[in-house]
Amino acid sequence: MLDGLLRRYFGKGESRSVAKKRLRLALIYDKVEVSEDLLRVLQGDIVDVISRYFEIDKESLKLDIERSDDLSALIVSTPILRAKRMEKLTSDVP
Amino acid sequence: MEGRIIVVTSGKGGVGKTTATASIGAALALSDRRVAVIDMDIGLRNLDVVLGLESRVVFNIVDVVKGRCKLRQAAIRDKKIENFFLIPASQSDNKDVLTPEDMMKVGQELRKEFDFVLMDCPAGIERGFENAIAAADEALVVCTPDVSSVRDADRVIGLLLSRSIMPKLLVNRVIPKMVGRGDMLSHQDVVEVLSIDLVGLVEMDDQVVVSTNTGTHLVLQSNSKAGEAFQRIAMRLNGQPDLPIEDPMARKGLWKSISKKLGLRK
Repeated sequence: MLDGLLRRYFGKGESRSVAKKRLRLALIYDKVEVSEDLLRVLQGDIVDVISRYFEIDKESLKLDIERSDDLSALIVSTPILRAKRMEKLTSDVP
Repeated sequence: MEGRIIVVTSGKGGVGKTTATASIGAALALSDRRVAVIDMDIGLRNLDVVLGLESRVVFNIVDVVKGRCKLRQAAIRDKKIENFFLIPASQSDNKDVLTPEDMMKVGQELRKEFDFVLMDCPAGIERGFENAIAAADEALVVCTPDVSSVRDADRVIGLLLSRSIMPKLLVNRVIPKMVGRGDMLSHQDVVEVLSIDLVGLVEMDDQVVVSTNTGTHLVLQSNSKAGEAFQRIAMRLNGQPDLPIEDPMARKGLWKSISKKLGLRK
């Protein structure tokens, strides 16, 4: 508070750096905004890929985007029922 | 040689696109290039009043596209500057009367007729924007040093890049005093955040209002900081890309320069 008062007295602004910081964050948020449609298609693709290697419970696969101040993470969680055997894998994938 | 079509855009409204279009266009024409400025804000035309040509409007860009007149018939010659032409917007239509395909077709004709064509883009990123950028070879993104304008500029830059149009940044209405006391983003701040090349910065200048009031050219006024800045931007577009960017913060006050002489300040 003292800091704020001092700044007011001496006319030293600080809003420039605040603006810059807020802008940076806003732009990051804007760029990682993902539509529901895109998430749905992505979920389908991820299920396809994982299913080549594992038997999974497709219904309970969960897809989320978690955001914090400095990064966004795509989090996929799925229960694995069984790993596929290597021989089977090579015959599946040409 | 074919002319260049440059779209002047911003996303956000009211940041000075029309003034920039008028002034840069005038400056290019003053350096002996054949220039057309086109008002792409169909239904809300303004470039004609800014240039003081509102009483001479007969045909408009929609007439050209629809084949109701020739390009040369719609191009209004400026009163003061030779080789400077305005193609106005239609005031009675809406943006949907044009399509990006229409504009690409007209663009070919425009490149043959002029050295520079500046498209004054409407605010927003909808149909009017799509029409204005359709034929563009390059883009100038205008923004003021405030968060909403910079954010919108970022969005527009993304859209331009996705269409392989290389945008350059114009930071408008910088107030050096406010930047100096830490209450306004500097042009360097804006460049850093948007990470594209700067084509110039324009200081806040009362003369802009005066010249718009009277419909006269800012670049012909003496002592207009903004007018001079627009002239330098025109030079950078017209074969002098390396003309140094002037930093208003580096312009020293009397005390600053005295103390610098005395070695008290770097």
